[in-house]
Amino acid sequence: MLIEIGLLMLAVGLFFAHGLWLFLNQRRIRRLTEVARESLAHLVTRGTVNVDDIDALRQLPNNVQVMAFLEMSRNVTGAGKERLSFVARQVGLVDRAQKLCVSRRWTRRLRGARILSRLGVVDPLVQQLLSDPHPAVRAQAAEWAAAQPSVPVISAMLTLLADPATQARFAVQDALLRMGGVVAEPLATFLERHTGRAAEAGLRVAESLAEPSFMPAALRLSCSEDVGVRIAAAKLLGAVGDAAAAQRLIELLDDDDSSVRAAAAQGLGRMQHWQAASLLAYRLRDSAWRVRRAAGLALRSIGAPGVLFLRRALKEDDAFASDMAQQVLDLPTAAASG
Amino acid sequence: MSGFTQTAVSQILVKGQLIVLLYFFAVNGWYLILLVSSLLELRRHMLLITDESRHLLLSSTLSPTISILAPAFNEEATIDASLRALLALQYPNLEVIVVSDGSKDRTVQVLIERFDLVPVKTIYEHRIKTKPVRSLYRSATYPSLVVVDKDNGGKADALNVGLSFARGELVCAMDADTLIEADGLQRMVRPFLYATDVVATGGTIRVVNGSEVKFGRVVRAAVPTSLLAGVQVVEYLRAFLFGRLGWNRLGGNIIISGAFGLFQREAVLSAGGYLHDTVGEDMELVLRLKRLSYERGGPGKIAFVPDPVAWTEVPESAKVLGRQRDRWHRGLADVLWRHRRMLFNPRYGVTGLFVFPYYAFVELLAPVIEAAGLIALAFGLATGVIDWNFAGLFYLTAYGLGTALTAFTLILEDLSFHRYETFRDRALLFWWALVENLGYRQLTVYWRLRGLWKFLRGKKDWGSMERKGFHPVTAS
Repeated sequence: MLIEIGLLMLAVGLFFAHGLWLFLNQRRIRRLTEVARESLAHLVTRGTVNVDDIDALRQLPNNVQVMAFLEMSRNVTGAGKERLSFVARQVGLVDRAQKLCVSRRWTRRLRGARILSRLGVVDPLVQQLLSDPHPAVRAQAAEWAAAQPSVPVISAMLTLLADPATQARFAVQDALLRMGGVVAEPLATFLERHTGRAAEAGLRVAESLAEPSFMPAALRLSCSEDVGVRIAAAKLLGAVGDAAAAQRLIELLDDDDSSVRAAAAQGLGRMQHWQAASLLAYRLRDSAWRVRRAAGLALRSIGAPGVLFLRRALKEDDAFASDMAQQVLDLPTAAASG
Repeated sequence: MSGFTQTAVSQILVKGQLIVLLYFFAVNGWYLILLVSSLLELRRHMLLITDESRHLLLSSTLSPTISILAPAFNEEATIDASLRALLALQYPNLEVIVVSDGSKDRTVQVLIERFDLVPVKTIYEHRIKTKPVRSLYRSATYPSLVVVDKDNGGKADALNVGLSFARGELVCAMDADTLIEADGLQRMVRPFLYATDVVATGGTIRVVNGSEVKFGRVVRAAVPTSLLAGVQVVEYLRAFLFGRLGWNRLGGNIIISGAFGLFQREAVLSAGGYLHDTVGEDMELVLRLKRLSYERGGPGKIAFVPDPVAWTEVPESAKVLGRQRDRWHRGLADVLWRHRRMLFNPRYGVTGLFVFPYYAFVELLAPVIEAAGLIALAFGLATGVIDWNFAGLFYLTAYGLGTALTAFTLILEDLSFHRYETFRDRALLFWWALVENLGYRQLTVYWRLRGLWKFLRGKKDWGSMERKGFHPVTAS
């Protein structure tokens, strides 16, 4: 009973004491944040370094400093960001973040990498974190890397496409996409040499970039034993869309897996490959709904020849084919293109 | 009464009280474990999310598409504001599907007029049998909006229709009147990006009563002053922040609120969608997904994410609240009965050995034990078998421990999200934590017992929910 009363009193005391502390602290922080914002705005917008403003920022508590810099980092780019990172170095924030990056605790390394990423600081320490044992830290380092498209960084990022942690893999794919066309050549080389999960992750990035240099790898990977890889390769072939791609997609229409057949049909529709219309019309009888739907929509997007096949399918004995053809023909133009 | 009978009765009463006491300590001991677990989980979560750049997710073409399924039945008065708030959610690949479940009022007309809807045809797969669809609309001004008008078939049927039309890899099931915070989906989708074995995620539901709402968003959270709404604020905080969060670390949740949950669409369709003949369709689906993951393999992790917040209006009349709690308990009983094979079955891992038994013996049977204890206590006091000192001490212990647990939950909220900012709110929260055990808790025991009784009699009606509506912000 006494323990319980003690616990209750402790809880109540903590609850109200914390409330009071929050109130006082927030009031103090609000005032300090205003000072920090004002000083930072002066330094970043004027482009000249004012010692008083630097001193004012230096004297602020760590959390207020970090808050103010990260807040500002969201609103500046280019020269503004460079000035922000310069000021962060002057007030010691970059040094502190670098120390956090080499901490033994992953939460601190994560915090350090976050600060340096947001400030856009070019630092080999963050690049090293691409091989950190914790996936959250690796993901954060990948986010940083998106703004540093150098050869070694891209190479390290491509290695991470095989990362077993989904979080890191997603961050790497996203970062590679943000880097843009500069990753096309190394990614094409990477895809030519890899299979499995790494290749599937790479193919997703390649599909968005849709460069012709991915063709050899896409053709090779479309024969992979892994269903996920074949689907991703079929999508890439549809995005790149040359004669060789069309030929391979036509072959994939006979794949054992329905998702691959659907992806192939979708790819042919995307390429508007009218020569494949009769084969797509045949796929309206497929046993899998998703293949019939993809084939129907592909015929519709091909244009007049496809629509002709759809109209013919209306009179087919196969009820599934005629039903799907009817549904596709009923679609308004905008919906059919999706 | 003969001497022998009197002795036998007193023995039964004393032993009965001892059993209740043991049960009480076991349950509260488990609550303490949950509290510690939720504290650790919350700390880890806060470390992970501090200063994260969620805005990157907003512009990523790789983000999974989410289809929001919003079933609506006679929501003419609120559908406009609720839908505008949904369409304004901050998520890149979003589709909103409103399913009017045979509304008898002007819900569909209001939608047609205010969202510029035009009738369309589409191709969809009938993987789940549902009531017929009357018509389908798309908005000329909001490309991501789809409205389905169908025959009445209940919430589960409406969600199943939504599932058939959805194009997203993930579907967000919600109530039409739930208010989701603008960045709620960005927060909720995280577990799907972090792991491949996640099949569903749930977020925190908070009570909107008393708060200020503007354009479908809560602009200032406040604790309500009315008794029933006030104690429910405390109840919801406890259920989500320490209950569900605690289970995250201890082996997984089996409940995701029907008001706000995110699911892998393909997994839900493969499982057969929502069941029609239960009043606990949301819990049933989650438990089925979990069970199937053990039986067939595949993803089965149910993650609770504490920071995405959805706001819901809770009943302020005892009659409506009673109906709701009775229905929840009936649903729980029904779901546990349907999946009774999982109880203590090692095939279902932690779920079968720990989580399921907890829900069966603590959540389901608690009102029975509590009511039996109260009746035996009253009888024992009346007959003099139990002395007043023992009864008083027992009550104070139970009351004190319950209040201490609630107070620690309030601290968790305060340390993490801190949504109630003023001293008034803090004092009110604490006041409702004190008041909760004085009558309200006993009322919920009665309602839940009534639910159990109805379940045993095979009743499956929903009852109706009367809403007062949200407090708009007045122009100053």
